[in-house]
Amino acid sequence: MNGLQTANAPSSKIVVPHFIAGGVSFLIVAILLALSTTELLSVYFDNKLIAITHIAILGWASMMVFGALYQLIPVVYETSLFSEKLGVITFWLFAVSVLALSYSFWIASFTNLLIYASLLMFFSLLVFIINLHLTYRKTKKPNIQSKFINTGIYWLAATELLGTLVALNFKYNFLSDIHLHYLKIHAHLGLVGWFLLLIIGAASILIPMFMISHRLNEKKLNYAYYFINIGLLALSLDWLFLQSSIGVYIYWMIIGVGILFFLSYVYDAYTGRLRRKLDVGLKYTVIAVVVLIVPLITALYLLIVGDTTPFVNRLGTFYGFSIIFGIISMLIFGQTYKTLPFIIWLDRYQNYVGKYKTPLPRELYSEKLADYQYYGYLAAIVLMSIGIVFNQRIILQTGSIILIIVAVLNLINILMMVLHKTKIEELPKHK
Amino acid sequence: MGLLNTTPMKTSEEITEIEIDIIENILSHVMDPEIEIDIVNLGLIYELNYDGKTTVDVEMTLSTPACPLSDAIVASVKESIKQKYTDFVVNVKLVFEPRWHAEMITEAGKEMLGM
Repeated sequence: MNGLQTANAPSSKIVVPHFIAGGVSFLIVAILLALSTTELLSVYFDNKLIAITHIAILGWASMMVFGALYQLIPVVYETSLFSEKLGVITFWLFAVSVLALSYSFWIASFTNLLIYASLLMFFSLLVFIINLHLTYRKTKKPNIQSKFINTGIYWLAATELLGTLVALNFKYNFLSDIHLHYLKIHAHLGLVGWFLLLIIGAASILIPMFMISHRLNEKKLNYAYYFINIGLLALSLDWLFLQSSIGVYIYWMIIGVGILFFLSYVYDAYTGRLRRKLDVGLKYTVIAVVVLIVPLITALYLLIVGDTTPFVNRLGTFYGFSIIFGIISMLIFGQTYKTLPFIIWLDRYQNYVGKYKTPLPRELYSEKLADYQYYGYLAAIVLMSIGIVFNQRIILQTGSIILIIVAVLNLINILMMVLHKTKIEELPKHK
Repeated sequence: MGLLNTTPMKTSEEITEIEIDIIENILSHVMDPEIEIDIVNLGLIYELNYDGKTTVDVEMTLSTPACPLSDAIVASVKESIKQKYTDFVVNVKLVFEPRWHAEMITEAGKEMLGM
Protein backbone atom coordinates (compact mmCIF):
# COMPACT_ATOMS: atom_id res chain seq x y z
CA MET A 1 0.00 0.00 0.00
CA ASN A 2 2.82 2.33 0.98
CA GLY A 3 0.94 5.54 1.24
CA LEU A 4 -0.72 5.42 -2.13
CA GLN A 5 -4.20 5.80 -0.72
CA THR A 6 -4.26 9.57 -0.59
CA ALA A 7 -2.95 9.79 -4.15
CA ASN A 8 -5.80 7.49 -5.22
CA ALA A 9 -8.41 9.37 -3.21
CA PRO A 10 -11.09 11.11 -5.27
CA SER A 11 -11.70 14.83 -5.23
CA SER A 12 -13.90 15.91 -2.33
CA LYS A 13 -16.17 17.55 -4.95
CA ILE A 14 -17.49 14.12 -5.94
CA VAL A 15 -17.79 12.82 -2.36
CA VAL A 16 -19.23 15.73 -0.37
CA PRO A 17 -22.52 16.34 -2.33
CA HIS A 18 -23.56 12.77 -1.45
CA PHE A 19 -23.33 13.53 2.27
CA ILE A 20 -25.39 16.72 1.91
CA ALA A 21 -28.06 15.02 -0.23
CA GLY A 22 -28.11 12.07 2.21
CA GLY A 23 -28.55 14.34 5.24
CA VAL A 24 -31.41 16.23 3.55
CA SER A 25 -33.07 12.93 2.54
CA PHE A 26 -32.93 11.66 6.12
CA LEU A 27 -34.71 14.80 7.30
CA ILE A 28 -37.39 14.27 4.62
CA VAL A 29 -37.76 10.62 5.71
CA ALA A 30 -38.16 11.66 9.37
CA ILE A 31 -40.83 14.26 8.49
CA LEU A 32 -42.74 11.85 6.22
CA LEU A 33 -42.62 9.11 8.89
CA ALA A 34 -44.12 11.53 11.43
CA LEU A 35 -46.90 12.26 8.92
CA SER A 36 -47.53 8.57 8.22
CA THR A 37 -48.06 6.98 11.63
CA THR A 38 -51.44 5.58 10.50
CA GLU A 39 -49.78 3.80 7.57
CA LEU A 40 -46.96 2.53 9.82
CA LEU A 41 -49.57 0.75 11.91
CA SER A 42 -51.37 -0.84 8.95
CA VAL A 43 -49.48 -2.87 6.28
CA TYR A 44 -45.90 -2.53 5.09
CA PHE A 45 -46.84 -2.43 1.38
CA ASP A 46 -48.85 0.79 1.65
CA ASN A 47 -47.82 3.12 -1.21
CA LYS A 48 -46.75 5.92 1.16
CA LEU A 49 -44.57 3.52 3.15
CA ILE A 50 -43.04 2.29 -0.09
CA ALA A 51 -42.30 5.92 -1.03
CA ILE A 52 -40.65 6.56 2.37
CA THR A 53 -38.72 3.28 2.14
CA HIS A 54 -37.29 4.30 -1.24
CA ILE A 55 -36.25 7.75 0.01
CA ALA A 56 -34.67 6.05 3.06
CA ILE A 57 -32.91 3.29 1.14
CA LEU A 58 -31.93 5.27 -1.95
CA GLY A 59 -31.95 8.98 -1.05
CA TRP A 60 -30.47 8.54 2.42
CA ALA A 61 -28.66 5.22 2.81
CA SER A 62 -27.42 4.56 -0.75
CA MET A 63 -26.53 8.22 -1.24
CA MET A 64 -24.33 8.20 1.89
CA VAL A 65 -22.90 4.80 0.95
CA PHE A 66 -22.00 5.96 -2.57
CA GLY A 67 -20.16 8.98 -1.15
CA ALA A 68 -18.34 6.88 1.45
CA LEU A 69 -17.55 4.18 -1.13
CA TYR A 70 -15.86 6.63 -3.49
CA GLN A 71 -13.58 7.48 -0.56
CA LEU A 72 -13.20 3.93 0.74
CA ILE A 73 -12.60 2.20 -2.60
CA PRO A 74 -9.01 3.46 -2.98
CA VAL A 75 -8.25 2.06 0.49
CA VAL A 76 -9.91 -1.33 -0.01
CA TYR A 77 -9.18 -1.86 -3.72
CA GLU A 78 -5.78 -0.09 -3.61
CA THR A 79 -6.55 1.74 -6.82
CA SER A 80 -8.25 4.97 -7.84
CA LEU A 81 -11.87 5.14 -8.98
CA PHE A 82 -12.25 4.19 -12.66
CA SER A 83 -13.96 7.49 -13.54
CA GLU A 84 -14.83 10.48 -11.36
CA LYS A 85 -16.91 11.94 -14.21
CA LEU A 86 -19.15 8.85 -14.16
CA GLY A 87 -19.44 9.39 -10.40
CA VAL A 88 -20.73 12.94 -10.93
CA ILE A 89 -23.16 11.76 -13.66
CA THR A 90 -24.43 9.01 -11.30
CA PHE A 91 -24.99 11.55 -8.52
CA TRP A 92 -27.26 13.84 -10.56
CA LEU A 93 -29.15 11.07 -12.37
CA PHE A 94 -29.60 9.23 -9.09
CA ALA A 95 -30.81 12.31 -7.17
CA VAL A 96 -33.44 13.11 -9.84
CA SER A 97 -34.56 9.45 -10.03
CA VAL A 98 -34.97 9.18 -6.24
CA LEU A 99 -37.23 12.24 -6.26
CA ALA A 100 -39.26 11.01 -9.24
CA LEU A 101 -39.52 7.43 -7.99
CA SER A 102 -40.58 8.37 -4.46
CA TYR A 103 -43.06 10.96 -5.71
CA SER A 104 -44.64 8.42 -8.08
CA PHE A 105 -45.09 6.00 -5.14
CA TRP A 106 -46.41 8.76 -2.88
CA ILE A 107 -49.13 9.78 -5.38
CA ALA A 108 -49.63 6.11 -6.44
CA SER A 109 -48.88 6.87 -10.11
CA PHE A 110 -48.04 3.24 -10.88
CA THR A 111 -48.75 3.24 -14.59
CA ASN A 112 -47.26 6.58 -15.67
CA LEU A 113 -44.53 8.40 -13.75
CA LEU A 114 -43.25 5.23 -12.02
CA ILE A 115 -42.29 3.69 -15.38
CA TYR A 116 -40.07 6.64 -16.40
CA ALA A 117 -38.71 7.13 -12.87
CA SER A 118 -37.69 3.49 -12.52
CA LEU A 119 -36.07 3.44 -15.96
CA LEU A 120 -34.07 6.54 -15.03
CA MET A 121 -33.11 4.89 -11.72
CA PHE A 122 -32.07 1.75 -13.58
CA PHE A 123 -29.85 3.80 -15.87
CA SER A 124 -28.26 5.80 -13.04
CA LEU A 125 -27.46 2.65 -11.03
CA LEU A 126 -26.12 0.96 -14.15
CA VAL A 127 -23.60 3.81 -14.55
CA PHE A 128 -22.60 3.39 -10.88
CA ILE A 129 -22.29 -0.41 -11.17
CA ILE A 130 -20.18 -0.19 -14.35
CA ASN A 131 -17.92 2.43 -12.75
CA LEU A 132 -17.33 0.31 -9.65
CA HIS A 133 -16.97 -2.93 -11.57
CA LEU A 134 -14.29 -1.39 -13.81
CA THR A 135 -12.56 -0.08 -10.68
CA TYR A 136 -12.60 -3.59 -9.20
CA ARG A 137 -11.01 -4.92 -12.38
CA LYS A 138 -8.07 -2.56 -11.84
CA THR A 139 -7.42 -4.13 -8.43
CA LYS A 140 -4.18 -6.04 -8.39
CA LYS A 141 -4.81 -8.01 -5.20
CA PRO A 142 -8.53 -8.59 -4.51
CA ASN A 143 -9.08 -9.28 -0.80
CA ILE A 144 -12.12 -10.58 1.06
CA GLN A 145 -13.32 -7.03 1.79
CA SER A 146 -13.23 -6.01 -1.89
CA LYS A 147 -15.00 -9.28 -2.78
CA PHE A 148 -17.82 -8.42 -0.37
CA ILE A 149 -18.23 -4.92 -1.81
CA ASN A 150 -18.02 -6.02 -5.43
CA THR A 151 -20.50 -8.88 -4.96
CA GLY A 152 -22.81 -6.42 -3.15
CA ILE A 153 -22.73 -4.30 -6.29
CA TYR A 154 -23.85 -7.28 -8.42
CA TRP A 155 -26.74 -7.85 -6.00
CA LEU A 156 -27.60 -4.16 -6.40
CA ALA A 157 -27.82 -4.77 -10.16
CA ALA A 158 -30.16 -7.75 -9.56
CA THR A 159 -32.27 -5.70 -7.13
CA GLU A 160 -32.60 -2.87 -9.60
CA LEU A 161 -33.38 -5.17 -12.52
CA LEU A 162 -36.21 -6.82 -10.61
CA GLY A 163 -37.49 -3.46 -9.31
CA THR A 164 -37.63 -2.08 -12.87
CA LEU A 165 -39.40 -5.21 -14.16
CA VAL A 166 -42.02 -4.91 -11.40
CA ALA A 167 -42.50 -1.21 -12.25
CA LEU A 168 -42.94 -2.02 -15.96
CA ASN A 169 -45.31 -4.83 -15.04
CA PHE A 170 -47.74 -2.34 -13.51
CA LYS A 171 -48.41 -1.12 -17.04
CA TYR A 172 -47.63 -4.10 -19.30
CA ASN A 173 -48.57 -6.95 -16.94
CA PHE A 174 -46.19 -9.68 -18.14
CA LEU A 175 -45.07 -11.26 -14.80
CA SER A 176 -46.78 -14.45 -13.67
CA ASP A 177 -47.17 -13.71 -9.95
CA ILE A 178 -48.65 -10.89 -7.86
CA HIS A 179 -46.54 -7.76 -7.27
CA LEU A 180 -46.22 -8.42 -3.57
CA HIS A 181 -44.35 -11.63 -4.30
CA TYR A 182 -41.72 -9.82 -6.40
CA LEU A 183 -41.62 -6.94 -3.93
CA LYS A 184 -40.52 -9.41 -1.25
CA ILE A 185 -37.67 -10.73 -3.43
CA HIS A 186 -36.71 -7.20 -4.56
CA ALA A 187 -36.52 -6.05 -0.92
CA HIS A 188 -34.36 -8.99 0.19
CA LEU A 189 -31.99 -8.74 -2.75
CA GLY A 190 -31.50 -5.08 -1.80
CA LEU A 191 -31.29 -5.42 1.97
CA VAL A 192 -29.30 -8.64 2.25
CA GLY A 193 -27.47 -8.71 -1.10
CA TRP A 194 -26.59 -5.05 -1.50
CA PHE A 195 -26.56 -3.55 1.98
CA LEU A 196 -25.52 -6.49 4.14
CA LEU A 197 -22.60 -7.47 1.90
CA LEU A 198 -21.52 -3.87 1.58
CA ILE A 199 -21.79 -3.32 5.32
CA ILE A 200 -19.70 -6.41 6.06
CA GLY A 201 -17.10 -5.47 3.43
CA ALA A 202 -16.71 -1.92 4.71
CA ALA A 203 -17.10 -2.73 8.42
CA SER A 204 -14.51 -5.50 8.36
CA ILE A 205 -11.95 -2.91 7.20
CA LEU A 206 -13.12 0.03 9.30
CA ILE A 207 -13.95 -1.63 12.63
CA PRO A 208 -10.48 -3.17 13.22
CA MET A 209 -8.89 0.03 11.88
CA PHE A 210 -10.75 2.34 14.27
CA MET A 211 -10.70 -0.01 17.26
CA ILE A 212 -7.04 -0.85 16.55
CA SER A 213 -7.50 -4.61 16.55
CA HIS A 214 -4.95 -6.92 14.97
CA ARG A 215 -4.43 -10.56 14.13
CA LEU A 216 -8.07 -11.25 13.35
CA ASN A 217 -9.17 -14.48 11.75
CA GLU A 218 -10.12 -13.57 8.17
CA LYS A 219 -11.32 -17.13 7.55
CA LYS A 220 -14.47 -16.13 9.44
CA LEU A 221 -15.10 -13.45 6.82
CA ASN A 222 -14.58 -15.98 4.04
CA TYR A 223 -17.14 -18.32 5.63
CA ALA A 224 -19.54 -15.38 6.09
CA TYR A 225 -19.12 -14.49 2.40
CA TYR A 226 -19.97 -17.96 1.09
CA PHE A 227 -22.78 -18.71 3.56
CA ILE A 228 -24.60 -15.41 2.95
CA ASN A 229 -24.23 -15.50 -0.84
CA ILE A 230 -25.21 -19.15 -1.21
CA GLY A 231 -28.14 -18.69 1.18
CA LEU A 232 -29.40 -15.59 -0.61
CA LEU A 233 -28.97 -17.08 -4.07
CA ALA A 234 -30.89 -20.21 -3.05
CA LEU A 235 -33.57 -18.13 -1.30
CA SER A 236 -34.16 -15.87 -4.32
CA LEU A 237 -34.19 -18.73 -6.84
CA ASP A 238 -36.57 -20.68 -4.64
CA TRP A 239 -38.89 -17.69 -4.24
CA LEU A 240 -38.77 -17.02 -7.98
CA PHE A 241 -39.24 -20.54 -9.34
CA LEU A 242 -40.08 -23.14 -6.67
CA GLN A 243 -41.75 -21.43 -3.74
CA SER A 244 -41.04 -24.43 -1.54
CA SER A 245 -42.15 -24.19 2.06
CA ILE A 246 -39.29 -25.96 3.84
CA GLY A 247 -36.40 -24.64 1.68
CA VAL A 248 -36.89 -21.07 2.86
CA TYR A 249 -36.09 -22.06 6.48
CA ILE A 250 -32.89 -23.77 5.37
CA TYR A 251 -31.76 -20.79 3.25
CA TRP A 252 -32.47 -18.39 6.13
CA MET A 253 -30.42 -20.62 8.43
CA ILE A 254 -27.52 -20.57 5.94
CA ILE A 255 -27.69 -16.75 5.76
CA GLY A 256 -27.94 -16.65 9.56
CA VAL A 257 -24.81 -18.80 9.98
CA GLY A 258 -22.97 -16.39 7.65
CA ILE A 259 -24.08 -13.42 9.75
CA LEU A 260 -22.94 -15.22 12.92
CA PHE A 261 -19.47 -15.70 11.42
CA PHE A 262 -19.31 -11.96 10.77
CA LEU A 263 -20.56 -11.20 14.29
CA SER A 264 -17.88 -13.48 15.68
CA TYR A 265 -15.23 -11.58 13.65
CA VAL A 266 -16.48 -8.26 15.06
CA TYR A 267 -16.56 -9.74 18.57
CA ASP A 268 -12.88 -10.71 18.20
CA ALA A 269 -12.09 -7.16 17.03
CA TYR A 270 -14.05 -5.70 19.93
CA THR A 271 -12.52 -7.85 22.68
CA GLY A 272 -8.98 -7.61 21.27
CA ARG A 273 -9.07 -3.87 20.65
CA LEU A 274 -6.27 -1.61 21.86
CA ARG A 275 -8.45 1.48 21.94
CA ARG A 276 -10.54 0.94 25.03
CA LYS A 277 -12.70 4.07 24.91
CA LEU A 278 -15.26 4.01 22.10
CA ASP A 279 -16.12 7.33 20.48
CA VAL A 280 -19.61 8.13 19.23
CA GLY A 281 -18.93 6.72 15.75
CA LEU A 282 -17.84 3.37 17.17
CA LYS A 283 -20.75 3.22 19.65
CA TYR A 284 -23.23 3.44 16.73
CA THR A 285 -21.27 0.74 14.91
CA VAL A 286 -21.24 -1.71 17.82
CA ILE A 287 -25.00 -1.32 18.39
CA ALA A 288 -25.74 -1.78 14.67
CA VAL A 289 -23.78 -5.02 14.58
CA VAL A 290 -25.58 -6.38 17.66
CA VAL A 291 -28.99 -5.38 16.19
CA LEU A 292 -28.25 -7.67 13.18
CA ILE A 293 -29.76 -10.46 15.30
CA VAL A 294 -33.16 -8.67 15.62
CA PRO A 295 -34.43 -8.96 11.98
CA LEU A 296 -33.00 -12.47 11.81
CA ILE A 297 -35.17 -13.60 14.74
CA THR A 298 -38.16 -11.56 13.50
CA ALA A 299 -37.91 -13.16 10.03
CA LEU A 300 -37.79 -16.62 11.56
CA TYR A 301 -40.85 -15.86 13.69
CA LEU A 302 -42.74 -14.49 10.66
CA LEU A 303 -41.88 -17.60 8.67
CA ILE A 304 -43.07 -19.91 11.43
CA VAL A 305 -46.31 -18.00 12.15
CA GLY A 306 -47.12 -17.46 8.48
CA ASP A 307 -50.60 -15.93 8.90
CA THR A 308 -51.68 -12.30 8.37
CA THR A 309 -53.12 -10.96 11.61
CA PRO A 310 -52.75 -7.20 12.28
CA PHE A 311 -49.94 -8.05 14.75
CA VAL A 312 -48.05 -10.06 12.12
CA ASN A 313 -48.50 -7.20 9.62
CA ARG A 314 -47.03 -4.75 12.11
CA LEU A 315 -44.22 -7.20 12.79
CA GLY A 316 -43.55 -7.19 9.03
CA THR A 317 -43.24 -3.39 9.17
CA PHE A 318 -41.00 -3.68 12.25
CA TYR A 319 -38.81 -6.19 10.37
CA GLY A 320 -38.08 -3.63 7.63
CA PHE A 321 -37.83 -0.80 10.19
CA SER A 322 -35.24 -2.70 12.25
CA ILE A 323 -33.06 -3.31 9.18
CA ILE A 324 -33.29 0.25 7.81
CA PHE A 325 -33.10 2.18 11.09
CA GLY A 326 -31.57 -0.32 13.53
CA ILE A 327 -28.74 -1.51 11.30
CA ILE A 328 -28.22 0.44 8.09
CA SER A 329 -28.89 3.97 9.39
CA MET A 330 -27.14 3.23 12.68
CA LEU A 331 -24.00 2.18 10.80
CA ILE A 332 -24.22 5.14 8.45
CA PHE A 333 -24.48 7.60 11.36
CA GLY A 334 -21.48 5.95 12.98
CA GLN A 335 -19.38 5.85 9.85
CA THR A 336 -20.31 9.43 8.91
CA TYR A 337 -18.44 10.56 12.03
CA LYS A 338 -15.54 8.28 11.15
CA THR A 339 -15.22 9.31 7.50
CA LEU A 340 -16.60 12.77 6.66
CA PRO A 341 -14.37 14.68 9.15
CA PHE A 342 -11.31 12.98 7.63
CA ILE A 343 -12.44 13.65 4.05
CA ILE A 344 -12.89 17.35 4.83
CA TRP A 345 -9.73 17.47 6.97
CA LEU A 346 -7.61 15.96 4.17
CA ASP A 347 -9.15 18.37 1.67
CA ARG A 348 -8.50 21.47 3.80
CA TYR A 349 -5.27 20.59 5.61
CA GLN A 350 -3.36 18.12 3.45
CA ASN A 351 -0.94 20.86 2.32
CA TYR A 352 -0.51 22.36 5.77
CA VAL A 353 0.34 19.30 7.89
CA GLY A 354 3.70 19.64 9.61
CA LYS A 355 4.05 23.27 8.49
CA TYR A 356 1.26 24.78 10.59
CA LYS A 357 -0.81 23.85 13.60
CA THR A 358 -4.04 22.36 12.25
CA PRO A 359 -7.23 21.31 14.06
CA LEU A 360 -7.95 17.61 14.58
CA PRO A 361 -10.57 15.95 12.32
CA ARG A 362 -12.99 15.56 15.25
CA GLU A 363 -12.81 19.31 15.89
CA LEU A 364 -14.54 19.92 12.55
CA TYR A 365 -17.97 19.09 14.02
CA SER A 366 -19.73 19.60 17.34
CA GLU A 367 -19.16 16.58 19.57
CA LYS A 368 -21.94 17.79 21.87
CA LEU A 369 -24.47 17.76 18.99
CA ALA A 370 -23.19 14.33 17.94
CA ASP A 371 -23.84 13.04 21.49
CA TYR A 372 -27.37 14.50 21.59
CA GLN A 373 -27.97 12.99 18.16
CA TYR A 374 -26.75 9.57 19.37
CA TYR A 375 -28.97 9.40 22.47
CA GLY A 376 -31.89 10.97 20.59
CA TYR A 377 -31.58 8.40 17.83
CA LEU A 378 -31.54 5.47 20.27
CA ALA A 379 -34.63 6.88 22.03
CA ALA A 380 -36.41 7.49 18.69
CA ILE A 381 -35.94 4.01 17.29
CA VAL A 382 -36.77 2.24 20.57
CA LEU A 383 -39.99 4.29 20.95
CA MET A 384 -40.94 3.82 17.29
CA SER A 385 -40.31 0.06 17.49
CA ILE A 386 -42.52 -0.23 20.60
CA GLY A 387 -45.16 1.92 18.89
CA ILE A 388 -45.17 -0.23 15.74
CA VAL A 389 -45.09 -3.67 17.41
CA PHE A 390 -47.62 -2.90 20.17
CA ASN A 391 -49.84 -0.59 18.13
CA GLN A 392 -49.17 2.45 20.35
CA ARG A 393 -49.71 5.51 18.21
CA ILE A 394 -48.74 8.13 20.81
CA ILE A 395 -45.42 6.38 21.49
CA LEU A 396 -44.82 6.07 17.74
CA GLN A 397 -45.54 9.77 17.22
CA THR A 398 -43.25 10.77 20.11
CA GLY A 399 -40.47 8.66 18.60
CA SER A 400 -40.97 10.12 15.14
CA ILE A 401 -40.81 13.70 16.47
CA ILE A 402 -37.52 12.88 18.23
CA LEU A 403 -36.35 11.41 14.90
CA ILE A 404 -36.98 14.77 13.19
CA ILE A 405 -34.84 16.51 15.84
CA VAL A 406 -32.11 13.89 15.28
CA ALA A 407 -32.26 14.48 11.52
CA VAL A 408 -31.84 18.24 12.04
CA LEU A 409 -28.86 17.71 14.38
CA ASN A 410 -27.32 15.34 11.84
CA LEU A 411 -27.74 17.87 9.04
CA ILE A 412 -26.28 20.69 11.17
CA ASN A 413 -23.16 18.62 11.89
CA ILE A 414 -22.80 17.58 8.23
CA LEU A 415 -23.08 21.20 7.10
CA MET A 416 -20.67 22.31 9.85
CA MET A 417 -18.06 19.93 8.40
CA VAL A 418 -18.78 20.64 4.75
CA LEU A 419 -18.69 24.42 5.24
CA HIS A 420 -15.59 24.29 7.47
CA LYS A 421 -13.12 27.09 6.67
CA THR A 422 -9.41 26.34 6.89
CA LYS A 423 -7.92 27.54 10.20
CA ILE A 424 -4.17 27.32 10.65
CA GLU A 425 -1.79 28.69 13.27
CA GLU A 426 1.99 29.04 13.35
CA LEU A 427 3.74 26.06 14.92
CA PRO A 428 5.76 26.65 18.10
CA LYS A 429 9.46 26.80 17.17
CA HIS A 430 11.65 23.81 18.11
CA LYS A 431 14.89 24.82 19.82
CA MET B 1 39.56 34.19 33.20
CA GLY B 2 37.73 32.96 30.18
CA LEU B 3 40.82 32.53 28.13
CA LEU B 4 40.60 28.77 28.44
CA ASN B 5 37.35 27.02 27.56
CA THR B 6 37.12 24.04 29.92
CA THR B 7 34.14 22.46 28.06
CA PRO B 8 35.58 19.75 25.79
CA MET B 9 34.76 19.98 22.05
CA LYS B 10 31.94 17.62 21.02
CA THR B 11 32.84 14.88 18.58
CA SER B 12 30.90 14.59 15.33
CA GLU B 13 29.24 11.40 16.69
CA GLU B 14 28.05 13.29 19.75
CA ILE B 15 26.70 16.10 17.59
CA THR B 16 24.88 13.55 15.42
CA GLU B 17 23.34 11.98 18.53
CA ILE B 18 22.18 15.35 19.81
CA GLU B 19 20.59 16.13 16.44
CA ILE B 20 18.85 12.74 16.45
CA ASP B 21 17.44 13.51 19.92
CA ILE B 22 16.17 16.85 18.62
CA ILE B 23 14.60 15.19 15.56
CA GLU B 24 12.97 12.56 17.77
CA ASN B 25 11.57 15.33 19.92
CA ILE B 26 10.18 16.99 16.77
CA LEU B 27 8.56 13.70 15.72
CA SER B 28 6.98 13.34 19.16
CA HIS B 29 4.82 16.31 18.14
CA VAL B 30 3.53 14.61 14.96
CA MET B 31 0.10 13.24 15.72
CA ASP B 32 -1.83 10.39 14.16
CA PRO B 33 -4.95 12.52 13.45
CA GLU B 34 -7.33 9.60 14.06
CA ILE B 35 -5.84 8.00 17.16
CA GLU B 36 -4.75 11.42 18.46
CA ILE B 37 -1.49 10.13 19.91
CA ASP B 38 1.96 11.10 18.62
CA ILE B 39 3.76 8.68 16.33
CA VAL B 40 6.74 8.22 18.69
CA ASN B 41 4.61 7.10 21.65
CA LEU B 42 2.56 4.90 19.30
CA GLY B 43 5.81 3.13 18.39
CA LEU B 44 5.42 3.84 14.68
CA ILE B 45 9.06 4.95 14.22
CA TYR B 46 11.23 1.89 13.55
CA GLU B 47 14.49 3.63 12.65
CA LEU B 48 15.83 7.15 12.63
CA ASN B 49 19.17 7.90 10.99
CA TYR B 50 21.04 11.15 10.44
CA ASP B 51 24.18 11.15 8.29
CA GLY B 52 25.73 14.06 10.18
CA LYS B 53 25.30 16.35 7.19
CA THR B 54 21.90 17.10 5.64
CA THR B 55 20.11 13.78 5.21
CA VAL B 56 17.62 12.21 7.61
CA ASP B 57 16.21 8.73 6.97
CA VAL B 58 13.07 7.68 8.79
CA GLU B 59 11.77 4.13 8.63
CA MET B 60 8.29 3.94 10.04
CA THR B 61 5.03 2.04 9.93
CA LEU B 62 1.33 2.81 10.39
CA SER B 63 -1.19 1.31 12.79
CA THR B 64 -2.85 -0.31 9.75
CA PRO B 65 -1.61 -0.67 6.15
CA ALA B 66 -5.05 0.54 4.98
CA CYS B 67 -4.67 3.88 6.79
CA PRO B 68 -6.25 6.53 4.52
CA LEU B 69 -4.20 9.23 6.27
CA SER B 70 -0.83 7.69 5.40
CA ASP B 71 0.25 10.45 3.03
CA ALA B 72 -0.77 13.14 5.51
CA ILE B 73 1.26 11.47 8.29
CA VAL B 74 4.30 11.05 6.03
CA ALA B 75 4.04 14.67 4.88
CA SER B 76 3.76 15.75 8.50
CA VAL B 77 6.97 13.87 9.39
CA LYS B 78 8.89 15.47 6.52
CA GLU B 79 7.59 19.00 7.00
CA SER B 80 8.03 19.00 10.79
CA ILE B 81 11.73 18.19 10.43
CA LYS B 82 12.14 20.71 7.61
CA GLN B 83 10.61 23.42 9.77
CA LYS B 84 13.80 23.39 11.85
CA TYR B 85 16.27 22.07 9.29
CA THR B 86 15.20 23.88 6.15
CA ASP B 87 18.02 22.57 3.93
CA PHE B 88 17.70 18.92 5.03
CA VAL B 89 16.59 16.08 2.80
CA VAL B 90 14.13 13.89 4.71
CA ASN B 91 13.48 10.41 3.36
CA VAL B 92 10.55 8.52 4.84
CA LYS B 93 10.18 4.82 4.14
CA LEU B 94 6.90 3.13 5.09
CA VAL B 95 7.29 -0.52 6.05
CA PHE B 96 4.77 -3.09 7.22
CA GLU B 97 7.27 -5.76 8.28
CA PRO B 98 7.41 -6.28 11.18
CA ARG B 99 3.74 -5.53 11.57
CA TRP B 100 3.01 -2.92 14.21
CA HIS B 101 1.53 -4.33 17.42
CA ALA B 102 0.53 -3.27 20.91
CA GLU B 103 3.88 -4.04 22.54
CA MET B 104 5.45 -1.28 20.46
CA ILE B 105 3.42 1.43 22.21
CA THR B 106 5.31 3.25 24.97
CA GLU B 107 4.00 3.29 28.53
CA ALA B 108 2.86 6.89 28.05
CA GLY B 109 1.09 5.90 24.82
CA LYS B 110 -0.69 3.01 26.57
CA GLU B 111 -1.91 5.42 29.22
CA MET B 112 -3.25 7.76 26.52
CA LEU B 113 -5.11 4.85 24.86
CA GLY B 114 -6.64 3.83 28.20
CA MET B 115 -4.92 0.41 28.08
